[in-house]
Amino acid sequence: MGGYGDVRLLREDGLRLDGRKLDEMRPMTIEAGVLPAADGSAMVTHGLNVAVAAVYGPMEAHPRKIQRQDRAVIDVRYNMAPFSTSDRIRPGFNRRSREISKVTAEALESVVLCERYPRSKIRVEIEILAAEAGTRCAGLTAAAVALADAGIPMRDLIVGVASGKVEGIVVLDLDKAEDNYGQADLPVGILPNTGEIAFLQMDGDLSPDEYNLAMEYNFKAAAEIHEIMVDALKRRYEGGEN
Amino acid sequence: MVELVPTLLRQELSRLAEDDLRLDGRGQWEGRELTLETDCLYNAEGSAKVVMGDTIVYAGVKFELRTPWPDRPAQGSLMCGAELRPVAHRKYEPGPPSPQSIELGRVVDRGIRESGCIDMESLCIVPGEKVWGVMIDIHVLSDGGNIFDACGLAAIAALRTAVVPAERFDVGEDYTLKVKGTPIMASFTRVGGRYVYDPSEEEELGGDERIHITLGDEGHLHSLQKGLRGVFTPAEFAEIFGVAHLRCVELRKLVAIQEGN
Repeated sequence: MGGYGDVRLLREDGLRLDGRKLDEMRPMTIEAGVLPAADGSAMVTHGLNVAVAAVYGPMEAHPRKIQRQDRAVIDVRYNMAPFSTSDRIRPGFNRRSREISKVTAEALESVVLCERYPRSKIRVEIEILAAEAGTRCAGLTAAAVALADAGIPMRDLIVGVASGKVEGIVVLDLDKAEDNYGQADLPVGILPNTGEIAFLQMDGDLSPDEYNLAMEYNFKAAAEIHEIMVDALKRRYEGGEN
Repeated sequence: MVELVPTLLRQELSRLAEDDLRLDGRGQWEGRELTLETDCLYNAEGSAKVVMGDTIVYAGVKFELRTPWPDRPAQGSLMCGAELRPVAHRKYEPGPPSPQSIELGRVVDRGIRESGCIDMESLCIVPGEKVWGVMIDIHVLSDGGNIFDACGLAAIAALRTAVVPAERFDVGEDYTLKVKGTPIMASFTRVGGRYVYDPSEEEELGGDERIHITLGDEGHLHSLQKGLRGVFTPAEFAEIFGVAHLRCVELRKLVAIQEGN
């Protein structure tokens, strides 16, 4: 975060470089059931981000050492396609993707009724096809819709959403330039019905007041995104397919 | 994962084959519905999405500046790789590239490379110092059978739409990559004792060996591969070669139509 104080991210009229208001998010579309081979799947486009999630299972957990006697484990892999960024990414896991996979799994385990499936495993595969800041949130949202699409019982959906700070001003949903040159980023996973938080990361510099405002923006956007998620699931199952 | 021996499936496929039928009602040489989309990924310099039945594949092209190989100082390089990630099917496991995905990437790579559709010398910027490396990455998102053809088509379609990002690398102006020719792959699997074109996932599961044929614009062979356990006769090859020829002409037209849009 930060370090490039001379890059202008806000316009004279107070709007952001792409014309958005401070608390306005990039356009988002969600489609459920996009991958025929998977038990559940979803594609989220958010700005120029494209995230696809596939769910397989519940299935036998192996290796045995990952098995839990009283519940299912959720095995998440967040992966960026080699062509998803400006410079090609060498295929394979790196420290960043491992960390995101871990905290995403833990967030999803907080909403899935894991105790229904002792000793089993639910695989969640998140593939980022195009990245423009905010891929972990798009991936988390896609994963939640894919789990619901797979018919896996959950307490609630999870909405991935982020706010941050540019030029000392709190804004919702950082784009690429804002992420590169901004001063803070606060991605969270919100349970839209209970108002609880299952995913939390942050880096940069935020005052307590700025944190509160960023969270306020996040909650407001989460309600919007939740509607898009529910709509995607309804479209998938209302049409008489499946 | 334990793969159950699909004995019943094999029996069913053999029974159908006797009457020249297929599980999904297709004719022996009939392909599934296919859609091709290009320029569909932001950040990739060229991209394509292919949907063939339940199979979904993306390909993206990236460029990098590199120093040429010492024995070919005036030539750039081309690399094509495929990833069979666990997203694509429950049978795929995480880990380093499997022999299967390496075979897939290399067969597609050979078809494109050997067709000569990329002039490697045109990728040279400063001989002996600086050349373009072109990388085609293929990402299988859903394996519903015959991923080879889907990958081959996605790769060449993505390559044909690629724009060399010279400005970003500070070596001149962006320009469209020159690709002469459209090598196309056609794949056959032995199902119930005879070959069928464009096998579905179930046909692959209950079938035997497979043959992949890549043909260039002139109908010349550029890549052949036989995979899995089984043998075939020259007469059988002659028959599928004829089918491949017709199918490649059709698919080449589809790529051209997509580019025209």
